[in-house]
Amino acid sequence: MTSVWEKLTKIDRRVIYFMLLVVIVVPLIFPFRLKPKPMPPVEKLFNYIDTIPEDKCLVVSVDYSPDTEAELHPMSIALLRHAFARHKKVGVLCMSLLGLGLAQDALTTVTNEFNSRAMSNADSIVYGRDYVFWGWQQPPLVPILGMGENIASVFPLDYYGYRTDSLPIMKKIKNYNDVAILVSIAGSAVPFWYITYAQTSFGVRIGAGSTAVQAADFYPYLNSGQVTGMMSGMKGGAEYEELVEERCNIFGRRKATDAMSSQTAAHIWIMITIIIGNIGYFAMRRRKK
Amino acid sequence: MRKIPNYFIRLFTICFLLFTIHYVYGIEAPSKVLAGDAPNDAGRNIVIHWQLSPSDSIIEGYQILRKAENETEMTAVGFMGKGRNSFTDDGTIDGVKYTYQVVAVLDSLQAPSELSNIAVSSQQWFHTERINVLFFTFIFTFLIIFYINRAKKGANLFVRKIAGLLAVDEAVGRATEMGKPILYVPGLTGISDVATIAAMNILGEVAKKIATYDSQLIVPNTDPIVFTVAQEVVKEAYTQAGRPDAFKSDSVYFVTDSQFAYAAAVDGIMTREKPATNFFMGYFYAEALILAETGASTGAVQIAGTDSVMQLPFFITACDYTLMGEELYAASAYLSREPLLLGGLIGQDWGKVVIVAILVVLTIIGLLTNLPVLNLF
Amino acid sequence: MKVRLPLFLVLITGILGALPFIIPHSIAQNFDNEFRNTVIRIIGAFSLVLGVGSIIRHHTYKITHKREHWQYSYVLLISLLISAVIGLFGGIDANGWLPTRIGSFNFDIQTLFTYIEVPLGATMFAMLAFFMASAAYRAFRARTFEATLLLIAAFIMMLGSVPLSNYIFPKLPSFAEWILTVPNTAAKRGMGFGISLGTLATSLKIILGIERGWLGGTK
Repeated sequence: MTSVWEKLTKIDRRVIYFMLLVVIVVPLIFPFRLKPKPMPPVEKLFNYIDTIPEDKCLVVSVDYSPDTEAELHPMSIALLRHAFARHKKVGVLCMSLLGLGLAQDALTTVTNEFNSRAMSNADSIVYGRDYVFWGWQQPPLVPILGMGENIASVFPLDYYGYRTDSLPIMKKIKNYNDVAILVSIAGSAVPFWYITYAQTSFGVRIGAGSTAVQAADFYPYLNSGQVTGMMSGMKGGAEYEELVEERCNIFGRRKATDAMSSQTAAHIWIMITIIIGNIGYFAMRRRKK
Repeated sequence: MRKIPNYFIRLFTICFLLFTIHYVYGIEAPSKVLAGDAPNDAGRNIVIHWQLSPSDSIIEGYQILRKAENETEMTAVGFMGKGRNSFTDDGTIDGVKYTYQVVAVLDSLQAPSELSNIAVSSQQWFHTERINVLFFTFIFTFLIIFYINRAKKGANLFVRKIAGLLAVDEAVGRATEMGKPILYVPGLTGISDVATIAAMNILGEVAKKIATYDSQLIVPNTDPIVFTVAQEVVKEAYTQAGRPDAFKSDSVYFVTDSQFAYAAAVDGIMTREKPATNFFMGYFYAEALILAETGASTGAVQIAGTDSVMQLPFFITACDYTLMGEELYAASAYLSREPLLLGGLIGQDWGKVVIVAILVVLTIIGLLTNLPVLNLF
Repeated sequence: MKVRLPLFLVLITGILGALPFIIPHSIAQNFDNEFRNTVIRIIGAFSLVLGVGSIIRHHTYKITHKREHWQYSYVLLISLLISAVIGLFGGIDANGWLPTRIGSFNFDIQTLFTYIEVPLGATMFAMLAFFMASAAYRAFRARTFEATLLLIAAFIMMLGSVPLSNYIFPKLPSFAEWILTVPNTAAKRGMGFGISLGTLATSLKIILGIERGWLGGTK
């Protein structure tokens, strides 16, 4: 007959899965907000974007797919809110085909937010004047290296079919020399391509937004200065949302922050199962002795 | 109407003139404009440097003008904001002589610099900043070839034990005894990835053992080129084991190139076929844990090997044995025990020793001094 | 010839692939771009034909020999056929030869991809959360000193990556950040060195013809 302690070490995985489902879903129905404290890598990225000179722009590379949308999409939205709040010029491109729809969604969401509050044309976010959506090109070398020479030649037509060089914003954005920082938001190795090709060859500053699993890979680059700042995982997105709200006074739906309650509950449940498993393990070890 | 006093008119005029004079003569031109061919490129680039204008804080920026030797007028080729003192002209024609002028600009006011020296763009055949990479590649190549030659001459080369590779025999034997198949997943990247090539090498050795023991092998693939290579590797392995008749071409097949569809397919194979042993060799992405955990739930012995540092923790927790990073590359030498491959492995390790020694020496030098030699690395 | 020709091709293309790194001249760069962007894509396109042929052959065999779960092979083959026909002849946005719109109901390839493939992929990805929970429960046992250290680090990281940590102990997120910045970075750099050198060595061995496993054998 199996002892209680042995049962603790062999909990049916279905029980673990069911309880995990419960702890993830319940906070979504009965939400509680936990205020995230921005960490240095996120602060660095925020501060750098905050101080982009007028003659430079922010480039956001939306390189994730719907698989990782939950974790990374809030980062795109927070970045765009920040850039538009500070009247920075923004260029958006995608290295992933599936990212096109997501980039379009982020731009539409944020521009609608700003334009619904705008009191004048100067406050509005106008396509072609304040931002441009270049679209997708076959990665990695053609767009990454080509943009070092002439962005308009890499994307002769933008995502909507307009001639890129006819847009007013493109009068000031020729190549990486006019880019203050390029932030790649990806669940894959795309930021490494930018570091390897764009930064090494052209010296452009790189920022990253990545899934929590992949974030650990970026710390060597963060320490060496090759990555100016980064957001890691949903918490990184929540931290950036916090900074945007706190310092730019921009209020909008904070998806990453809202999801923090579920993530917290899930982490606590996993820690509880680990503790239970270890209690059973040590109890059995003591009995064997 | 009261007449404006003369003194007031004179005072206003003087102030206006002073202001205008200050405004006009407040902009000073940049100086020391130097133009030169951009180094280490494929031509058509000239880099222009200048000393900032003393009025840099109030101007809008600098307009860069260019004139080719056969032109009479200067043409604007770029604009840099204030505080910037260099510009790369990427529209030159190689072999043509150009001169440049940098103009400080404030509204309609301009302060042009002296003309620069004549510059000609050209292509370079050698990237001088990468000489250190070339140097170390030669050192590394020399070490590998040296130890391969030593191995050819019959030197006894020691390689430490790698638990995952020692367990391959046992794992294949277990599957044979249980009468269950062996699943081999060769990663999700293409044949150009070194991890996939290493996976093919291991597949060859594993397939030889399977052919000898007369077990069943399943190799689902996510890349069409890898599928064709894997099929050839397995067929050749069966031939080398003396069992060409036992090879079934359907044991190696293409599934899909979609990441999670492939993970779902392999999960399905694991739950239906219930292989006794699972091999996960190659480069994996997020599906690594899905595969490993599903395999663990079926009770299979699992041996994984990947150079994807991100997925290693998942394989370590879910698999019985894990080959980490370069242990995967060493596997083919380890399993085959071929002297040439072992020699290459030793040479590679000595290359690492050289790099570590250089790192330690340079760290000490860097902590104690600030020698320019450090910039070479 | 069967062995020598591939080895010779690998030697030439390997050297030509490495040279553009140190030769910035346009001759080298253009050759490299042409090779990567054109030649490799053409080879990939042809190999896709082989792959599709393999999956059709595999499942047709299962159907004809009534292997276990042969009915699902029908599902696969029919799905393959439908998406191939729609993709090839339906066009994007219903502007191909084959009509892919009935009223407001679209079934063009983009719609199939967006509403079937993408949600299924996201579902598989979401399963990771559950698998992580069961793997953590099974694997994180403090059997040895190192395993205990791993367990403690895992707890710190799990707490540090949620805002709750600020309320428990304000320094905890910073400590989690330190684990990522210092020990994790050191380990990753070490592994990165090893992997890079291993890649260099393996590539050299393949270019020089010492490593021949990819050919289908070491002989």
